[in-house]
Amino acid sequence: MTPSETRQVVARASVEDRPRRDQGGRSELTEGKLGWLFVSPVVVFIVVLVGYPLILAFQTSVQSVSLFPGAPTHFIGLSNYTDVLSDQQTISAALHTAEYWIIAVTVELGIGLAAALALRHPFRGRGVMLALLVLPWALPPVVSGLLWSRIFDPSSGWLNGVLLQLNLIDHYHVWFNDPAATIPLIAVVHAWGLVPLVALILLGGLQGISSELYEAAALDGASSFGAFRSITLPLLQPSIAAALTIGTIVSFAIFDVIYVLTGTARDSRSVMVQIYLTSFANLDFGHGVAIAVLLAIASLFMSGFYLLAFRQAGR
Amino acid sequence: MLKKLQAVALATAGFSILAACSSGGGDSSANQKINTSEDIKGQTITVLMPPWADLPQSILDDFTKQTGVKVKYTVAQWDAIRDKISVAGAAQSKLADVVEFDWSWTGMYGQAGWFVPLEKNLDTSDMTNNEAFSINGHLYGACYNNDFRSFQYNQKMFQQAGITEPPKTFDEVVQDAKILKAKGVAKYPLAFPLQSEETTSMTWYLMVLAMGGQLFDDKGAPAFEDPSSPGYKALQFYMDGLKDGLINPADTSMSDAQEGDAWRAGGAAITYAAPGDFVSNDDPSMSKVVGQVKPMLVPGTDGPGASYGLPEGLGVMNTSEHKAAAIAFIKWWEQPSTLEKIYDKIGLLPCRKPVFESLVKDGKLNGGDVLLKQQDYVKPLFPNGAPPWYGKFSTNVSSLINAAAKGDMSVDEAIHQMADTARQLTK
Repeated sequence: MTPSETRQVVARASVEDRPRRDQGGRSELTEGKLGWLFVSPVVVFIVVLVGYPLILAFQTSVQSVSLFPGAPTHFIGLSNYTDVLSDQQTISAALHTAEYWIIAVTVELGIGLAAALALRHPFRGRGVMLALLVLPWALPPVVSGLLWSRIFDPSSGWLNGVLLQLNLIDHYHVWFNDPAATIPLIAVVHAWGLVPLVALILLGGLQGISSELYEAAALDGASSFGAFRSITLPLLQPSIAAALTIGTIVSFAIFDVIYVLTGTARDSRSVMVQIYLTSFANLDFGHGVAIAVLLAIASLFMSGFYLLAFRQAGR
Repeated sequence: MLKKLQAVALATAGFSILAACSSGGGDSSANQKINTSEDIKGQTITVLMPPWADLPQSILDDFTKQTGVKVKYTVAQWDAIRDKISVAGAAQSKLADVVEFDWSWTGMYGQAGWFVPLEKNLDTSDMTNNEAFSINGHLYGACYNNDFRSFQYNQKMFQQAGITEPPKTFDEVVQDAKILKAKGVAKYPLAFPLQSEETTSMTWYLMVLAMGGQLFDDKGAPAFEDPSSPGYKALQFYMDGLKDGLINPADTSMSDAQEGDAWRAGGAAITYAAPGDFVSNDDPSMSKVVGQVKPMLVPGTDGPGASYGLPEGLGVMNTSEHKAAAIAFIKWWEQPSTLEKIYDKIGLLPCRKPVFESLVKDGKLNGGDVLLKQQDYVKPLFPNGAPPWYGKFSTNVSSLINAAAKGDMSVDEAIHQMADTARQLTK
């Protein structure tokens, strides 16, 4: 083919391609519209069931809310926010929540990653192990709280019994009387329920990493730990970000397990317990909702931080 | 359309209230009669009550037989009922047709206007404790449980320790507890609620009165800050008991129900008591101390101490869709024959004086002589009715007692924080 013939073929091809590109353009446009059509029920659902209550909640948080008939509800600006930010009980509850979050997320990621690595390759009984792994996640938090309350029971709990049999303690302990032990124990119970979800997220991420990368690393003489550090961890970052985000949101909202194990005791009170007490025991909805809005902002901020941090690390 | 619906709803609600009111009539004799008209027949009402008011189906069947109204009876923890009422009241959503109405909620819920006034529907001439459920001239609760606090002791344990008489003062309580512990009869002879829940606050209030004090002075200022005040001493009594090993440290993490189970399992020798406890103590299906527990007067400083009434009532929320049937249910409950049956089955002390007296006369009241004598020492905790801020104060009190009992703060810190809370609330 001479150069002029080649030019003619390319020109013809470009002319023939034009409608196809147009078609392609129209197709992309249709797909975009179709996409919006598909997500529109979810968007409506979120706007009605999440957006509207959020707006109402914010409105309540800047009002003085009185439940008594005849008493007006009026705008008070950010007073409820300044009140709760200077309230010692709310600050204490926020610090407790931070402790729950750090301990729970560490335990969830540590055990979840170990479980995911152990279950990564097929072996006999893997299906059964996966089913057993999911069990704690399937239990409602109240049920797991009740289960663990039997374990920690100061008079007849299994934990005291086992430790006494092993001569590790010389008398029965009231586990939730020790402020240093209360939050870690509750955080572990909370993490116990969430480890399966984290393990499954990380397992999904691990199975998406090509085995060829490990084979190439082995040929280059990389050790198992080296491959884990240089291949597994970097490629698992999106899954870790997802697990961290879920773990953070759920630990910020910790309530059921605390309520079952220690009630509304001050030394274990989380922000959610404080919201419950303020709103429903004290009937102070303005301050209660202000704390809830602050918690939602903190939760959103932390989730955004994880996603951005891992996206930057991935570049 | 929305306005039309609202108008229909308002008209229906108004009609229901009128029907409920008209069913009772104005005079006393009419107020005694239960509405058995056709308009409520076939309805099903929902009732939400705490565990100690769990009526057996055989008693509920009697109401259905009389009125044709079916009852869906649900039991929940006292604290949980309070929270559910708060949520339903604030959202003006339906919770249940008949619900628990505690004396301590009168200020809070009565003023909020979430309950139907009952004064025109109920003959209360022979009922005690009505003032506890009244505010601004309206009655919001019909007393079903003439509750007050006494003390109880395990007589068998006392005999094993060689103690012949129950203690009359708190000094004697400590002295007897030390003997019971020293002789190995009870590891922790005293049981007091120290968890962060309402029972803990209520028992401390009892101790304050028993030690000769009061929560607030005539000007409404906290009267428990001074180390020589009964309130301060009452909290110190708990701490000394924990330090000396007389009170179980596990009481800080036991719920009200768990405390009751531990007592009926023979876990302690002295504790506070509600009248219903003397029925459950002797129920072999739930108790290992059948026949061992006897009532005793609340100890004091020199002799018997004061106590206070904690009456519980039945209320109808204004969101109830079956107000007439709900009021019929309350009237049926308050019938003397029903009150007697309920006492026989679950030990709820009736609020109608003639019924109470007939129980004593017939010798049906377990420990009746002591309980009757205890009533002489009963006085109101809040002479002018429970204030609207009671809930917030009480929540703080229980959590501070719990924190002090765990050693997270001193008695002095806990007491001053309680007083600060009271001052903020009464500003």
